[in-house]
Amino acid sequence: MQQVRALPVVGGFADRLLAEDLPDLPHQRRAEVVGFVARRVDGLPSFTRFGVLLIGVVFRALLAVPGGWGLGRVVLRLPLPFVAEYPRLVRSLGYAYVWEHWPSTTPTGGAA
Amino acid sequence: MADPARRPLPSTTVVTGAAGWLGTSLVARLAADPARARLRLLVHTTAEARALATRYADRPGVEVLVGDIAKADTALRLLDGAGPDTDVIHTAGIIHPRRVRQFFETNTAGTRHLATAAADRGVRRLVHVSSNSPFGTNPDRADTFRNDEPYHPYLGYGRSKMEAELAVTEAAAKGLDTVIVRPPWFYGPNQPPRQTTFFTMVRTGKFPVIGKGDQRRSMVFVENLVDGVLAAELVDAARGKGYWIADAEPYTVAEIVATVGAALRDEGLEVQPPSTSLPTLAARVAETADRFLQGVGLYQQQLHVLGEMGHTIACDISVARRELGYEPRVDLYDGMRASIRWCLDQGLTL
Amino acid sequence: MIARPADAAMDAEVLVIGSGAGGATTAAVLAEAGIDVLVVEEGEWVEQGDTVPFSLDQMDRQYRAGGVTVALGLPSVAYTEGRCAGGGTEVNSGLYWRPPGELLARWREDFRIADFDPAELLSIADEVETVLHVGTDPAGPTAPSEAMRRGADALGWRNGEIPRWMRHDGSGAGQRQSMTRTYLPRAAASGARIVTGCRVDRLELDGDRAVAAHTTLPDGRTGRITFRDVFVCGGAIQSPALLQRSGIRGNIGRSLAVHPTVKLAARFADPLNIPDDVPVHQVKEFAPHLSFGGSASNPGLVALSLLDEWNGFRDAVVDWPRISVYYAAITSQGRGRVFSVPRLRDPIVTYHLTARDRALLRSGLGRLALLMLEAGADTVFPSFRGAPAVRTRKHVATMERLFSANRASVMTVHLCSTVPIGEEAARCGADSFGRVHGATNIHVNDASLLPTAPGVNPQATVMAFAIRNARRFAAGESHG
Repeated sequence: MQQVRALPVVGGFADRLLAEDLPDLPHQRRAEVVGFVARRVDGLPSFTRFGVLLIGVVFRALLAVPGGWGLGRVVLRLPLPFVAEYPRLVRSLGYAYVWEHWPSTTPTGGAA
Repeated sequence: MADPARRPLPSTTVVTGAAGWLGTSLVARLAADPARARLRLLVHTTAEARALATRYADRPGVEVLVGDIAKADTALRLLDGAGPDTDVIHTAGIIHPRRVRQFFETNTAGTRHLATAAADRGVRRLVHVSSNSPFGTNPDRADTFRNDEPYHPYLGYGRSKMEAELAVTEAAAKGLDTVIVRPPWFYGPNQPPRQTTFFTMVRTGKFPVIGKGDQRRSMVFVENLVDGVLAAELVDAARGKGYWIADAEPYTVAEIVATVGAALRDEGLEVQPPSTSLPTLAARVAETADRFLQGVGLYQQQLHVLGEMGHTIACDISVARRELGYEPRVDLYDGMRASIRWCLDQGLTL
Repeated sequence: MIARPADAAMDAEVLVIGSGAGGATTAAVLAEAGIDVLVVEEGEWVEQGDTVPFSLDQMDRQYRAGGVTVALGLPSVAYTEGRCAGGGTEVNSGLYWRPPGELLARWREDFRIADFDPAELLSIADEVETVLHVGTDPAGPTAPSEAMRRGADALGWRNGEIPRWMRHDGSGAGQRQSMTRTYLPRAAASGARIVTGCRVDRLELDGDRAVAAHTTLPDGRTGRITFRDVFVCGGAIQSPALLQRSGIRGNIGRSLAVHPTVKLAARFADPLNIPDDVPVHQVKEFAPHLSFGGSASNPGLVALSLLDEWNGFRDAVVDWPRISVYYAAITSQGRGRVFSVPRLRDPIVTYHLTARDRALLRSGLGRLALLMLEAGADTVFPSFRGAPAVRTRKHVATMERLFSANRASVMTVHLCSTVPIGEEAARCGADSFGRVHGATNIHVNDASLLPTAPGVNPQATVMAFAIRNARRFAAGESHG
């Protein structure tokens, strides 16, 4: 698992999630944030990284099929321990990055 | 420390719940003071009214009304003719009903009616007797409630008393002079049957101590409480505030059981050593069951008391001491002996 | 910079693994006693001021895993560890609390710590306070501190400014102190060698002795360091993990203790946010079991504090200049574990909160919300899923009713007690001076030794323990 890079696994999911949460965030910024999220996932301690990538692989597969994203969102709303941590991790890293780097960002991601 | 400035006695003192546990002792104290010109007392039943009328037949200025505080017109009748020379002391409440909704009818709506009427009539002050229950239980054995705490009501009773406090606070915001008094578990003469059961359980060694009995409990001897209520009524600077009124320090449950045992023995009763120790789980189960029953509108006293037994309910009276000049005069042992003697005088079997 | 890169093969009389509050003080005491000391640090040497405090960049460079580390459980507890020269002392708020004397006395009894004199530790604390310039801020409280003070005063709750290691010059400007500015240069001045970028993977054992440390260098090469004695000072997670990876058994990693905290964001009418510093006031009215203080509040961290209930709270994010983040911390009856799995580089960490811990977190957050309302906050945003925005006392009650630790962002920055010190065989991992039970030359000298979480910022206690044990070791050396 140490050889697997995070970006191809979590990148698509992070991009989709942040695009929905922050629709007005410019593309270039979102790409930067996704890159940051992936770097941080790469730096996670072994076990957590393994878990995140495992869940990430499942969601990447979901994203690849029609209607998969909708199903994925339903799954994420279920009170499943650890699975719900996945979007939370992406959002924590993403939002922290957005507002630290561009503090005047609006709640929808727009550049105020 | 100099005693805080007190107002002169009002010409009329109104007491709700006048036949209750606290009400009986409070009225006795008020009636004993000839400077209290008029006492207007609200009781729930005609039987209670007759008993009071008999007791104070020779005391001029005592007037007894029968009514249910849960009904809006009761407060209006009670405060008919009241004005700036009237103090109202609201002790009426229900603690162990059959149905959860009774909590809200009596404790919450009753208080709201009274506060509204008091504001309309422009009384001098409304003293509202609340409880520890709006604040729930302490989150740690070593934790003690400070004078000002966030609400975290314990089940139906707690919620109803919290809503009552909020109604009082609302009236205060509109200009009514209010003081809230918060007593924890009380003891003393004129006690209801449930407290008699408590003595019997301790005497027969059957009081359910949870775990090691190291939960801390604040208690208040009813005469100490009367001191606190009267200070809250008369101390000018208390306006708009709320105070814990309790004995000097919280006790552990084990200490309470031991002290009551000693008091019973010293009153000549035979006391069995404590034999009923329940695991902490028992209290947890009882609390869960109580929560469930109250969720469907039912109330079961034994479950409720057992569930609460596993918790610490401790409060700090330093602000009442400082601002009201309140000083608890009777300690647990003497207070319990007085209660036991009262029970024996009534011919009760403990 | 006094650090240098590691060589593949090195040797020292005493190897010190880790350079934080435990390792740096150990190295200074031993080097000043004339012992040949080698300090190895996994992270890099970053000068104070090279990174912005509490920024993501600082987390990348000076925290383990960029600060994204978590103790698994329901709920999981997020934690952070410094991973740089100086360890946690470089990146924390620098707040300094002496170990409470009565706690030291209780530890001595409960864990049977031999020859453990609270007065000796407090006198070491005196020295440390001089070295680190521990003091209060001559400039007076910042606005977020002032808000905390105002709310606590309104409720009559004991509060005060916590001194910190900050050297103030004549102009009143402060220079933050840390191990890279104090004990590490002292160690180097007495001949200690300090290498960075060098990870110790395991200790090589020969019976009850460790004979070498196996290392990984930044370029991926492996190395070996031989020594006569080794002091493991990697902090409460890394120290037990290293011992476990080396095959050492006993009470190692079984009793992780932390101060769990929950947070809220408070919004005021006027701007008060200070992006690169933390409030220095704490409320100790309910100490030790419950304390309140201020957290780092840069705009990114404000967004994080609103994240749990983002749909309800997100509009407030643009108000970050008027928002500061505060925490409620508890002493926990729960415990965690650190365990190493073969072939896995990092340990797995777990933590379990008890029912009482959960009640205390709930009550703590409620009391903190009330304090913020009393301080004049127009709205309080608690950090848990399903939280209401709190504007009145009644809302505080609603908030407490809806609170569940499982839905909260529970985190901690104080980790300890994974190799408890003492002779009480059932729970202690190291003897009364930090030597690992069952080993002759392996010592632990960091937060792992604290018998329990102390209820206050633990760094002063860690340094006092480390200096005491290092002195004892050095005295034994000189006597032969």
